[in-house]
Amino acid sequence: MNIYKYASPINFYPLAGKLIPWFAIPAAVLFALGLFVGFFIAPTDFQQGDAYRIIFIHVPAAWMGMFLYILMAAYAGIGWAFNARLSSMMASAIATTGAMFTFLSLITGALWGKPTWGTYWVWDARMTSTLILLFLYIGFISLQASIDDPRRADRAGAVLAIVGVINVPIIYFSVQWWNTLHQGATIRLLQKPTIQGSMLYAMLIMLGACWLYSVAVVLIRLRCIILEREQNANRLVEAKA
Amino acid sequence: MNWPDLSLGGYGFYVWGSYLFALIAIAWEVVSLKQRRKSIGRHKTPERTPPSVIRGSANETTT
Repeated sequence: MNIYKYASPINFYPLAGKLIPWFAIPAAVLFALGLFVGFFIAPTDFQQGDAYRIIFIHVPAAWMGMFLYILMAAYAGIGWAFNARLSSMMASAIATTGAMFTFLSLITGALWGKPTWGTYWVWDARMTSTLILLFLYIGFISLQASIDDPRRADRAGAVLAIVGVINVPIIYFSVQWWNTLHQGATIRLLQKPTIQGSMLYAMLIMLGACWLYSVAVVLIRLRCIILEREQNANRLVEAKA
Repeated sequence: MNWPDLSLGGYGFYVWGSYLFALIAIAWEVVSLKQRRKSIGRHKTPERTPPSVIRGSANETTT
């Protein structure tokens, strides 16, 4: 089987259609399982009470906002460097979902901040850099929408996406580099997590659900983008004939 | 298994509010995608366009 043929949008279109249920259905199951563990198995936190249960949506949403931005920039960069149309389309498809998760992390963070810190918002490093991430997503989407020619829109978007990647490590390390109101990381790659087992499982299950959901909706949006661009190309063919 | 009380120790507004926002955001994304797909055409499948035509059109608009 020649897998390289799927680099073509027209060949990838039916494959994406077949893949969508394989991500959407497990995403729904994992969302249900994560909420069950988060609300019925995980105990009440001794310091924050039940307010901490917001982390089961807040933390996965914040991680997804950052992961998806890196992924979007990588696809945009590949599309720009190698003139790969599908990669550029993938970057466009990821942007809205990434923006949605970043927005969700800001809203749920504000709702967590009020009972734990006494305020919905402060201009500290973590929150401000996450707000900048949302603006970068909005900028990417707006820039692409403002340029009629898709190829030029892809190139302009790629420049913005690649430059904006610098913001992701700033978000991640902001709680170490600056004295912020936001708490430090409780889960690190090379260290034992400082969070209770069932709380950690609930959060990881919700993260898995968010990943599967993201893949499903990105594939659906990608199919829309392929159709829209092919329709535009066909209109050009008809106009030339 | 612990059965949480719905007021969540007085934090119900914040916790349920968060999950309500998440539900609205996901529902908005799914509905907007369905509408976008509908506006393109329900049974439309992409037709192969000669690459030379696509390349030509891109060059024509960029130069």
